[in-house]
Amino acid sequence: MSITQKPYHFLIRRVHSLLGLVPIGLFLTFHMILNLSARGGPEMYDKVIGTMRNFPGIIVVELIVIFIPILVHAIYGAWVVYTSQSNVLDYKYARNWFYIIQRISGIYTIIFIITHVYLLRFGEASFAALQHFVSNPYGLIFYALGVLLAIFHFVNGLWAFAITWGIAIGPHSQKVLSYALGIVFVLLSAVGLTDLTAFL
Amino acid sequence: MAQQKVIHFKIRRQDGPDKPSRWEEFDVPYREKLNVISCLMEIQKNPVTSSGKKTTPVVWECNCLEEVCGACTMIINGKAKQACSALIDHLEQPIVLEPLTKFPLVRDLMVDRQIMFDNLKKVHAWIPIDGTYNLGSGPRLAEAKRQWAYELSKCMTCGCCMEACPQVNSRSKFIGPSAISQVRLFNAHPTGEMNKHERLAPLLDEGGIADCGNAQNCVRACPKEIPLTTSLADLNREINKFALDRWLRK
Ligand code: SF4
Ligand code: SF4
Ligand code: FES
Repeated sequence: MSITQKPYHFLIRRVHSLLGLVPIGLFLTFHMILNLSARGGPEMYDKVIGTMRNFPGIIVVELIVIFIPILVHAIYGAWVVYTSQSNVLDYKYARNWFYIIQRISGIYTIIFIITHVYLLRFGEASFAALQHFVSNPYGLIFYALGVLLAIFHFVNGLWAFAITWGIAIGPHSQKVLSYALGIVFVLLSAVGLTDLTAFL
Repeated sequence: MAQQKVIHFKIRRQDGPDKPSRWEEFDVPYREKLNVISCLMEIQKNPVTSSGKKTTPVVWECNCLEEVCGACTMIINGKAKQACSALIDHLEQPIVLEPLTKFPLVRDLMVDRQIMFDNLKKVHAWIPIDGTYNLGSGPRLAEAKRQWAYELSKCMTCGCCMEACPQVNSRSKFIGPSAISQVRLFNAHPTGEMNKHERLAPLLDEGGIADCGNAQNCVRACPKEIPLTTSLADLNREINKFALDRWLRK
């Protein structure tokens, strides 16, 4: 009976959860820390970017570590969003809000990443290009929101990750974890926004 | 003479599954310590709306009248709960009554919760003890564990958790937290444990445990205070091991 069953559904959900942390979340963290170099001014930033870009086989690494995982996570995530039905107006609980913000931030992050990659990876990828983009107030808001929502999505995703993988089981451990992740959110946001201020 | 105190109701009416829905308002004379069911009974005796129009009696379901059967579950002032234990003195007026939205409507406040029972069958939420000969007495359950399991066994399949869960809807096949929590209950039983895999396997399917989105509304909506989210997380740990083990043995 159970032998003939094909649990692909379960597998893809678990893969989706895993990809959010490895490699996507780790990449996000690394990326934001690396970008602190922008605080050192245009020359330093362009030099760091140049080194990364000229890395041999960088495109293969990018494909395997960044693009494909994000694509899979985003496409399946869109399906997850489609199969949800928010009722936050009747059940106004913090976790229910987080549930819906997780979905909204996911969608926003997809749009943000497309713009961001188009602008900086396949565009000029220079200090000046981003500086120009955020000199427009709407551009700045779009960017700041993108950074914050991507971080939220990652950090709140970590909370769900701990439940999905059976790490935090009881209500107490889940609560402690959410406070700890609150601190992580603040720290990562500080890094992300510091990156951004370099371009103002 | 002082005006008589009334209880004001606003009820969503619908004559059948494919009929249009409408609101009707009713005033029930106030008495102390009434609950929603006793008011619905008053309306049944005299089905006249607050504007004096004669109407059909409101249809609803109830059975135990002590919050153990789950039949009277409906949406009261926006949240799913049992009408029999919803005390008028604790409710804000007008008291708005609506049928549950996650189940097919039968009429007025009555819905068909069959899907929940089908889900219990899907996950084998029972312990098979029938045989061709007497199997003798089973292993004993430690008292501490029995007390713990009793909490999980209080589920009355009422559907409050299904109603509150954003993952249970027409676009999703999610079986909801109650049936999943029953898997934990029956797998914890020393006899039930013998068929553990028969309950875990269906949870790997579409609509199974992986479809939970961790909104954690269910645990707050459950009138029996069943630790649903703990059951979900605990079974997540179990099922990851189970799925990996089964795959590695293929
Ligand atoms: S925790 Fe899971 S089962 Fe409970 S309400 Fe949220 S999505 Fe539904
Ligand atoms: S788990 Fe609670 S809310 Fe859900 S059906 Fe059982 S008793 Fe009702
Ligand atoms: S009538 Fe049984 S729970 Fe209300």
